[in-house]
Amino acid sequence: MQRVEHVMGFPVSLRIDDPVAAEETGDAVFAWLRAVDARFSPFKADSEVSRHGRGELSADELSADLVHVLDICERYRAATGGAFDVRLPGRGLDPCAVVKGWSVQRAAELLTSAGLRRFCLNAGGDVVVSGGPWRVGVRHPAFADRLCAVLDLTDAAVATSARYERGDHIIDGRTGRPVTGVDSLTVVARTLTEADTVATAAFALGAEGVDWAAAQEGCEVFAVLPGGRVLRSAGFPTADAAAA
Amino acid sequence: MKRALPVLVLSVAGLIPVWRYEPSTGTASTTVAVSTPPASGSASTSAAGSEVLTGTTVRTEKGDVQVQVTYDGDKITAVRMLKQPNHPQTTAAVPKLIAETLTAQSADIDTVSGATLTSDGYKESLQAAIDAKGA
Repeated sequence: MQRVEHVMGFPVSLRIDDPVAAEETGDAVFAWLRAVDARFSPFKADSEVSRHGRGELSADELSADLVHVLDICERYRAATGGAFDVRLPGRGLDPCAVVKGWSVQRAAELLTSAGLRRFCLNAGGDVVVSGGPWRVGVRHPAFADRLCAVLDLTDAAVATSARYERGDHIIDGRTGRPVTGVDSLTVVARTLTEADTVATAAFALGAEGVDWAAAQEGCEVFAVLPGGRVLRSAGFPTADAAAA
Repeated sequence: MKRALPVLVLSVAGLIPVWRYEPSTGTASTTVAVSTPPASGSASTSAAGSEVLTGTTVRTEKGDVQVQVTYDGDKITAVRMLKQPNHPQTTAAVPKLIAETLTAQSADIDTVSGATLTSDGYKESLQAAIDAKGA
């Protein structure tokens, strides 16, 4: 089964190789992601995030899910010395970076708890795979139709932060300015919640974020720096290394 | 190793004041008195009310570690490393990164990770081609 739907402003591709229950579980995945968009989008005035951002919902009136998301945001804000910050001055509350990874990870868990063993879920470039082998390419920062790395994964999550799709959208909360020290930064982790948040937070840190991401437990990192220099952690699971 | 040596020298230099530190209660002589510690943990109390605790020797993969702590009441007044590995523990928390040159590859893959793709950008993307092939 293979399906693509557009949710939260990006394409979500779901491939399920198990022969049973694929369509129903696929329906549940897309229904969950649409519900998350309605609840957590900062672009919808009546979402829980927007209402909290405007002060209409106090911290103790929030859903357990949003409390969980904001806890993750706060943990990474502290861990990056404020470089990663979902409450930037002059902007509304925008926890999108964490909501995306967390909600897609929860969607993958829906598939696993339905008994599905081999699937690949790609939400606008954030990937969760189960029951490998899966070959996951990392987009080349300069060429949309080329890759700069190929990974060989079994059960894992991959997230990439970069500027080539949506411009300078990641702000260093310490300076308030867009980050320019890194062209592309990919993190492989056990869950997409970790991979996506670590990739975004590391990108916000700039060049020093590469070492920071590599030091996060269970995270492997691949970074393209300006000038075409690549830095990767020794355990980054490239397909070539796995074959050697 | 070349970079580790200055760090080790600086770390040792930083410890010298700690070793030389003499608490004003005059317990320095007590600390010196147990400079040949037994193998297991022990404590000795001086007349001035300060206590010297010697930890057991802990084997680590870098070598043996043994610490001696001098307390004055609840306050730690001195810490001595009786045994420490002859090995600088400087950058253990930051894994070494491998430097490479960027390559542009084409390969048979199942999916693509990249910066958040917009629904507009999707049409021209590698992922769209993969999805079209599988549908």
